[in-house]
Amino acid sequence: MDLFFQILVNGILAGGIFAVVALGFSLVWGIMNIINLAHGSFLMLGAYVAYALFANYHVDPFLSIPVAFIVMFVFGYLVQKYIINFVVRAPILTTFLLTFGLSLLLINAALLVFHGDIKGIATSYSGANFSLGAVVVPWVKLWTLVAALVITALMQLFLTGTKTGRAIRATSMDIGAAQLSGVRVAHLYAIVFGLGSGLAGAAGVLVSLSYSLQPSMGEPFLIKAFVVCVLGGLGSVQGALVGGVLYGILEAFGSQYIGTGLQDAVALVVLLIVLIVRPTGIMGKATA
Amino acid sequence: MSFLQVEGVGMRFGGLQALDNVTFDVEKGAVLGLIGPNGSGKTTMMNVISGVYKPSAGRVRFADKTIADVPTHNVCKLGIARTFQIVKPFASLTVRENVAVGAMYGREGGKRSTKGSFERSQELLEIVGLARVGDKAASDLTIPDRKRLEVAKALALDPDVLLLDEVMAGLNATEVDEAIDLIRTVNGRGVTLIIVEHLMKAIMSVCTSVVVLAEGRKIAEGLPHVVVQSPEVIKAYLGSRFAERQAQLEEIKREADLARQVEPGAHA
Amino acid sequence: MASTSTVKVLQKVGMGGITGNRYAIYVSCAVLAVLLVVPSLHNGYIENLMRGVLMFATLSLGWNLIGGYTGYVSFGNVVFFGVGATTSAVLWQHFQQQNILLAIVVAAFVAALMALVLGFPILRLKGHYFGIATLGIALATQEIIANIDWLGGGSVTSIRQVDFFSSYYYAMWAICALSLGATWFIARSKFGYALVAIRENEEAAAILGVDATKYKVFAWMISAMMAAAAGAVFAGANGSIDSPTAFAVDNNVFPIVMAILGGVGTVAGPLVGAFVLTAINETLWSRFPEIHTLFFGAVIVIVVLFLPRGILWLFAVRGGFRGFVNSLKAYRV
Repeated sequence: MDLFFQILVNGILAGGIFAVVALGFSLVWGIMNIINLAHGSFLMLGAYVAYALFANYHVDPFLSIPVAFIVMFVFGYLVQKYIINFVVRAPILTTFLLTFGLSLLLINAALLVFHGDIKGIATSYSGANFSLGAVVVPWVKLWTLVAALVITALMQLFLTGTKTGRAIRATSMDIGAAQLSGVRVAHLYAIVFGLGSGLAGAAGVLVSLSYSLQPSMGEPFLIKAFVVCVLGGLGSVQGALVGGVLYGILEAFGSQYIGTGLQDAVALVVLLIVLIVRPTGIMGKATA
Repeated sequence: MSFLQVEGVGMRFGGLQALDNVTFDVEKGAVLGLIGPNGSGKTTMMNVISGVYKPSAGRVRFADKTIADVPTHNVCKLGIARTFQIVKPFASLTVRENVAVGAMYGREGGKRSTKGSFERSQELLEIVGLARVGDKAASDLTIPDRKRLEVAKALALDPDVLLLDEVMAGLNATEVDEAIDLIRTVNGRGVTLIIVEHLMKAIMSVCTSVVVLAEGRKIAEGLPHVVVQSPEVIKAYLGSRFAERQAQLEEIKREADLARQVEPGAHA
Repeated sequence: MASTSTVKVLQKVGMGGITGNRYAIYVSCAVLAVLLVVPSLHNGYIENLMRGVLMFATLSLGWNLIGGYTGYVSFGNVVFFGVGATTSAVLWQHFQQQNILLAIVVAAFVAALMALVLGFPILRLKGHYFGIATLGIALATQEIIANIDWLGGGSVTSIRQVDFFSSYYYAMWAICALSLGATWFIARSKFGYALVAIRENEEAAAILGVDATKYKVFAWMISAMMAAAAGAVFAGANGSIDSPTAFAVDNNVFPIVMAILGGVGTVAGPLVGAFVLTAINETLWSRFPEIHTLFFGAVIVIVVLFLPRGILWLFAVRGGFRGFVNSLKAYRV
C-alpha cells in the first residue's frame, strides 16, 4: 500500500513538468494548427540556459526560470515571425516538416557548441527529501511541481485576463473574424509561438533539476507532450494540467508494474485507446 | 403508394427541436418546393431526406427502403442526390473530374469505366452549361458556375430524386432565369425535384406543389399560388399583424365586390 | 456535338489527370531502366547507394498513396517497414528460410493484415489525430518487438544472406518498379479518383457514393505492403537487423520529405524526391561529415519554405517565376 502511494506521488510530481511541456505544445497546436516538432529542442535550449547561468554565475535554477522563459520567448517569436509564418497556412504536413528540419538544426547546433558530453546541475539541496508517512518526497521535485503550477496559473491569467490573451483566444476560434476585428495575425501568431517556446524553455529548466543535460534531452518529452495533449485536449490550460498529471501517474505505474522498457508502449496504447474512444481528449473542447 | 414519403419526421439537437412531426408525400415527376422562414428546418429536412442526418423520430421511405437504414454512401445508389447550400467541390480536381467522380460511383457507376465516366461527365457539363470551363480547377470557378457544378455532380449520380438546397442564393436576375430553365430541363428528363428556395419568383414559376415549414412544423401544403395566400403562411413569414392587415384587406375587397353587384345602375 | 467533345475527353484521359506531370513519369521509367545496369558496374558503394534510393523510393511511394493521394498523413508508416524487416529475421532465425521472395510475400501479408485490422479504428480519426495515432502505433510496436525474444528481443538478429549475385539489389528494384507501376495504375483508375475525392472532401465523396472507409483501408494496406516488402529485402541485404535500425526515425521521415520534395500526390514525385534527397544527403555526408545533419536540417527548412508543393510543382504552375512566387503567397500570413 505504501508502495502504491509512493508511486502515485512520484507520478504526480513528475506530472507537473509534463503539464508545462504540454501546455506550450498544446497552445501552438490548438491555436495555429502547428505541430511543433522543435518543441523538444526548445526545452533543451532552456535547460542549457539554466546550466550556463548556474555553471558560470551560480544562479539557482529556479531563478533562471523567468530568464529562460524570456530568452526562449524572443527566440520563438523570431522563428515564427520570420520563418514559420511563410507557410503557416499550408497543410499541416508542411509545418510539421519545417519544424522537424528546425529541430535537426537546433539539436546539431547544440551538439557543436556544447558537445555530446552529459552535464548536470547539482544544487546544494539536490538530494534532500522529506517524508510524508512512508512516502519519500524529494524537495526538488516538490518545488518543481509548485513552480509548474505557478507557471500554468500565470498562463491561464494571461489568456483570460489580458487583451492579448483574449485576442489569442479569438483568433483560435475564427481567424477571419479576428482579422476583421483588427487583430494583426502575423504578430499574434508570433506571440503564441513565443509563448509556446517560452514555456518549453521554462520546462527545460525544471527538467534540468532532475535529469541530465544533453542535446537530445528534449525529444522524449515531445512524445509525452503529444500524449498529454490527446489526454487533456488542445488549447486549454486545465487540460494540459490534468493530462500532464494523469500521464505522470500512468507512466509511474506502468514503469513499476510493466517495466521501464515498455512504459512508452503502455502510454502509447492508452493514447490510441483515448483517440479512438474520445478523439477530443478527456477534457478537450471541439477540435482545432 | 407514393414515390417518396416523409412520415412523422422529428429531429432533435440537444435542446433544440429542429423538426417536429413533419409528414408529406412527394409525387413522381413533381417539383416540390420546401419553403419557410429562416430557421424553420428546411435544410435539416433536406439532410434527413438525403440520409446525412438520421431522424430522431419518424422516417423517410423511398424505393421500399427507409433512408436512415442505408449508409450515407449508398443513398445515391437508391436514387437520391442532393446539392449543398455551401458548395463542396473537390478543389484541386478539374470541373470535369469533379463530375466524373459522381459518374464513377453513382447509381450507374459500377457499369462505367474511367473513360466512360469522363464521357458521361462531359455530357452533363454540356447540359448544365459548364462545358467551356471543363478543364478549370474547381476552386477557380465563379459562384454561379460552382452552383452549376454542384448540380452536375448530383446529376452524375443518375438520380430519380434531386434535392436542391438554395441553389439560387447569390445569383442575379439573369442567372436565376437560367437556373429555372435548368430545373425545368432536369425535370423534363424525368427527375423528381425537391427544392429549398427563398426566391418566391422561382418557387411560383417552377414548383408543382409546395410544403411550408415554420419552426420545424409543417403549416401548409398544396399548390403554390394557393399556399402563399394562406393566412397561416403569411403570419409565419411576416408576422401576425401583417396577417391581420392582409385579412382586413381581403375583407374590404370582398365587400367592395358585393357592393358593386348590388348597386343599381352599376357597370356590369 | 457529342462526338467532337468525346474525342477531346479521350485525349485528356490517360495522361495528366491525377497522375501528375507525364514527363516526370517517362523520365522515371528511363531512370529505372538505367538502374538495372548498376550491379554490372561491380561498384559496391554505388550499388548500396542505389539500393538505398530504390528502398526509400518504395517507402515514399507507399507513404504517398495514403498520405499524398488519400490525404491521411501517416507519421508512422515505418512500422510496416520494421515489421517487414522483423519478418525476414524471424523467417531465418526460426524457420531457416532465406528465400527472398518468400520473405517479401510473408512480410507483405503480415503488414497488410496489420493495416487491415488497425485501419478500421485508426482511419476514422481526422487530420493530425490520425498522424499521431500512426506515430503511436510505430513507437509502441517497436517497443513491443524489442521486448519479445521470439521476435528478436531488440538485439541484433543475423540473417544468412542469399549468395546469388546482387539478388537483393534486383529484388529492391523489382519492388520499387512494382510500386511505381501500382501507383500509376491506381492514379489512372476509378480507385485513384476515389482517394483524391476523399482527400479533397470526404463528406462530399460519400454523398457521391464513395465508400470512404473501404477505400482508405485498402490504400493503407497497399502502402503497408510496399513498406514491408522493402523492409524484408533491406534486412536480408543488411545481413542482420535490430529494432532501432528497423524502426529508425530516418526511415520514417525521409520518405515523407522525399514525397514532398518531389511532389505529393503525383506518381513520379516520390522517386524524384528520393533521388534528389539522397544526392543531397550523400554530398553533405562526404563534404561535411561532422555537421552533415545540421546542413540536412537546413536543407529541409529551405525546401519546405520555397518548394512546399515539391519540385514537380515548378513545372505545373502557370505564369513563370512570377506565378510561382504568387503561388507561395497563398501559404503566408
